[in-house]
Amino acid sequence: MNAHSNLLSWILWMPMIGVLGVLLLPKTKETAIRVWSLINTVITLVLSGCLYMKFDNTVPGMQEMFTIKHSWISQFNIFYHLGIDGISLPMVLLTSLLFAICILSSWTVKKQVKGYFALLLMLQSTVYGVFLSMDFFLFYVYWEVMLIPMFFLIGIWGGENREYAAVKFFLYTFFGSILMLVGMVALYFVTGQGVDSFNILALSGGKFVNETVNIFGMALPFAKVFFVALFIGFAIKVPVFPFHTWLPHAHVQAPTAISVILAGVLLKMGTYGFLRIAFPIFPSASVYFADAIAWLGLINVIYGAFCAMAQTDVKKLVAYSSVSHMGFVMLGLAAMTVQGMNGAVLQMFNHGTSTAMMFLLIGILYERSHHRWIVRPDGTKGFGGLYTQLPKFSIVFIIAMFASMGLPGLSGFISEALIFLGIYNRFTTITVLAVIGLLLGAAYLLWMFKRMFFGEVIEENKSYTDMNAREIFYMVPLCIAVILFGIWPSPLLDMMKASVGKLVSLLATF
Amino acid sequence: MALNYLASISHYIPELLVCFTMGALILIEATYGNDEKGSSKNMFYWGSMLGLLCALIYQVKGLGIEPTQIFTKSLVIDHFSGFAKIVMILSTAGVIYLSKISKDLYEGTKAEYTILAMGVLVGGMLLASANNMLLFYLGIETLSLLSYAMAALKKNDERSTEAGLKYVLYGGVTAGMMLFGMSHIFGVLGTINFSELMPMLTTLSTEQTAILIPSFLLFFVGIGYKISCVPFHMWSPDVYEGSPLPVTAFFSLVPKFAGIVAFARLTQVFFGGDVGVLKDSWLVLLSIVAALTMTVGNVSAIGQRSIKRMLAFSSISHAGVMMLGAIVLGKSGWTAILFYSVTYLFMTLVAFYVASFIQDHYGNDHIDRFSGLIKKHPAMAIAMAITMFSLAGLPPLSGFVAKFNILAAIIDKKFYVLAVITALNSVISLYYYMKVVRVMVLKDAESDEQIGGLGFVNQLVIGAYTLPVVLLGIFWQKLIALANGALLLIK
Repeated sequence: MNAHSNLLSWILWMPMIGVLGVLLLPKTKETAIRVWSLINTVITLVLSGCLYMKFDNTVPGMQEMFTIKHSWISQFNIFYHLGIDGISLPMVLLTSLLFAICILSSWTVKKQVKGYFALLLMLQSTVYGVFLSMDFFLFYVYWEVMLIPMFFLIGIWGGENREYAAVKFFLYTFFGSILMLVGMVALYFVTGQGVDSFNILALSGGKFVNETVNIFGMALPFAKVFFVALFIGFAIKVPVFPFHTWLPHAHVQAPTAISVILAGVLLKMGTYGFLRIAFPIFPSASVYFADAIAWLGLINVIYGAFCAMAQTDVKKLVAYSSVSHMGFVMLGLAAMTVQGMNGAVLQMFNHGTSTAMMFLLIGILYERSHHRWIVRPDGTKGFGGLYTQLPKFSIVFIIAMFASMGLPGLSGFISEALIFLGIYNRFTTITVLAVIGLLLGAAYLLWMFKRMFFGEVIEENKSYTDMNAREIFYMVPLCIAVILFGIWPSPLLDMMKASVGKLVSLLATF
Repeated sequence: MALNYLASISHYIPELLVCFTMGALILIEATYGNDEKGSSKNMFYWGSMLGLLCALIYQVKGLGIEPTQIFTKSLVIDHFSGFAKIVMILSTAGVIYLSKISKDLYEGTKAEYTILAMGVLVGGMLLASANNMLLFYLGIETLSLLSYAMAALKKNDERSTEAGLKYVLYGGVTAGMMLFGMSHIFGVLGTINFSELMPMLTTLSTEQTAILIPSFLLFFVGIGYKISCVPFHMWSPDVYEGSPLPVTAFFSLVPKFAGIVAFARLTQVFFGGDVGVLKDSWLVLLSIVAALTMTVGNVSAIGQRSIKRMLAFSSISHAGVMMLGAIVLGKSGWTAILFYSVTYLFMTLVAFYVASFIQDHYGNDHIDRFSGLIKKHPAMAIAMAITMFSLAGLPPLSGFVAKFNILAAIIDKKFYVLAVITALNSVISLYYYMKVVRVMVLKDAESDEQIGGLGFVNQLVIGAYTLPVVLLGIFWQKLIALANGALLLIK
């Protein structure tokens, strides 16, 4: 035991303290609720900062000094077990940053303020739970609990079709995770129900290569069957084609802050699941299925980009661009090389910041215009000449757009470059084809930009006001992150290098 | 070792207490004239609660006693049956309170409800302990005969009468088939005692096995009907819908638990050993039946507009899940069943309490009536939402843990396909449970009118039932240890 040993618990439970506070405040004190939520998220952000300061970059795997392990259900060897390594730390930092920003961006929410902030903070806690759990059962519980606040946040505060979107999101992810549950329980029994049967770290290392599973009289390889079960669970969250159809609905209908969280953090839970659970536990199956994962990643890249190109709703366009960008992460993961994996984790972080900027900006625009049409269904322009009307907004938008496009000097470039470096030797054809995705990305983003920001100012755009101080205030940290990590990515890369290296060397032995 | 009768009775006190309470209630009912019934009502309820409490205390005390067989080995008193009886007593107390506050029963018939429920409880307790075929049959019939009357409690309501009639007809036919099956088994083996049957099953000739397979099938019909598994489930939605709401709540608890417990014991007694083809055919049949029961129950629940019918179909699917615990033929399976029954008890009570208030307020129980409940009555809506998510099996609620235990038990036996079917069924069930939540939270209310009649005490009761739904999802260590201790004695 030392001074840092409870830091992870504090980070995990601080938002729940926030929820309690919100619930205790009376419904009418809306400003107090907002301020309290903000203070709470800032405290969590500071705690995450402390975590970063104390973090030892040189240690591969879990950092001993932060690990917490208490018995929870001893009959099933389930533990309250938290830990952190170079893969989860960037995700925790991203979560802390984005939630603080989302509280600020939600200042304008007028409907049932109390419920909104309580659910948002509850969501934050569950996200930390997923990124910090080292016990598979605990991980699963957080993975599922997350659905409940999301369901209400989309369903109550969302757009017109919110109910459909919320239900689809809920059912789709529940479907994926319940398959994961079967895989998890199967793992527990294959390990012989020992003390560490739900311990993600103890399970990892490719112990199940020679196990078989008997289904309808056929002896199938255990690792492959349950890798697929886990894969589907995580792939739905990413979302990997063909499990992506919930995403555009959820994104478009969700309120701004929730779109930010969804794209910025929740999608990463899927790829994090691969890195933390599927790959380390079933390395042989991961290597076996690497080609398939790469091809699915490629489909995501190209298909997502084409879908984005066809959109007339700017939020939907960015939603599909997320599908495309998460495809790059999948490519990086499939590479199973040091550069590829580092690129993937970096892309997870960078996509989190750049796409959060895009969604926040669209939210700001929506508050002024109450629509998101690039081209309305009747063929007229939705926006035009925004550049002359909203100069500050436009500059931030350009930064976000170029970062998302992967322009050198901004964060997206480094991660995508690393991914391409990582996969070229192994999947040359796929690399070449994936570059088309980059081109398409540039095309749809510039095309959108041209139609919204240049040209004649259309009449109703003239009344829009530029970004106010609060909006600028919460965009600044994201702009800094996007530019800083574009020029100097080493703080992030150093953090993840050792842990990613450990995983890659494990995969290399199969 | 057969105990003498006096010693036997000392193990049989909870059942006797319930019987005495039932008798006392009849006396109270008979003593007061019609006009005075209002004043006697409280005494009546307190009397029944007191009786149940005493039975509960004895039952809990009995958990510490070594398992025994009483009344010349016809009844087995072990932890498994004891635990099940505790759940049944608690269920009965819960639904009797519901019958007191529900408007779905006529004022005049509330006394009958309580008396009949006590009778069904005795039948259920008998069934849970039955160790020979005769008592098994008696248990089922005690349970059923009184249930028929309960279903038809709304004498002036055509649907209620129809429900009663339907129940009688189905029940009669299946009981007959079961009796026929039993007589075959007796004919072949020459005994009705479970403990004597068991060793004989391992030394059967081919001819005997050939006769016994259909006999066991017929036997299964009777018990399958009680737990309403596919294909004997058709009666249950109609009976549930036609019966008064407190009766429906009762039916989805006590007879179902009794049936499942008896079923688990039966499966273990006959097929726990190595009985070759008999065991295989039984387990394959049960696997298919359980899978169908879950799926048919869930798929049928999707389209329901009435919450009572929806809960009826969903209870079919829950029975299917509990059946899986019996197929496991092992300790983990029984533990899972007991845990499931406890959580299911609380979830069902909350769901039916809330449904009852809605029905009393609006006059019907369509799911649309729940719209905007979160604004009209937040506490009730939150309790209902928690229960619905729990029934669907979302963590960290107790319903998830219950499903997890069942899944763990069947995956341990490597029934992966069944596990996947169970998992997928959870997704289907989430869809219709979520529909209730959706209507309550996301839809606007039909009117601003507040829902009255839900006094402080009733809110407290609903809260008290909701609390375990949440707490058992997080702190389940103790309960699982308790259920684990409830070992099955089969001798």
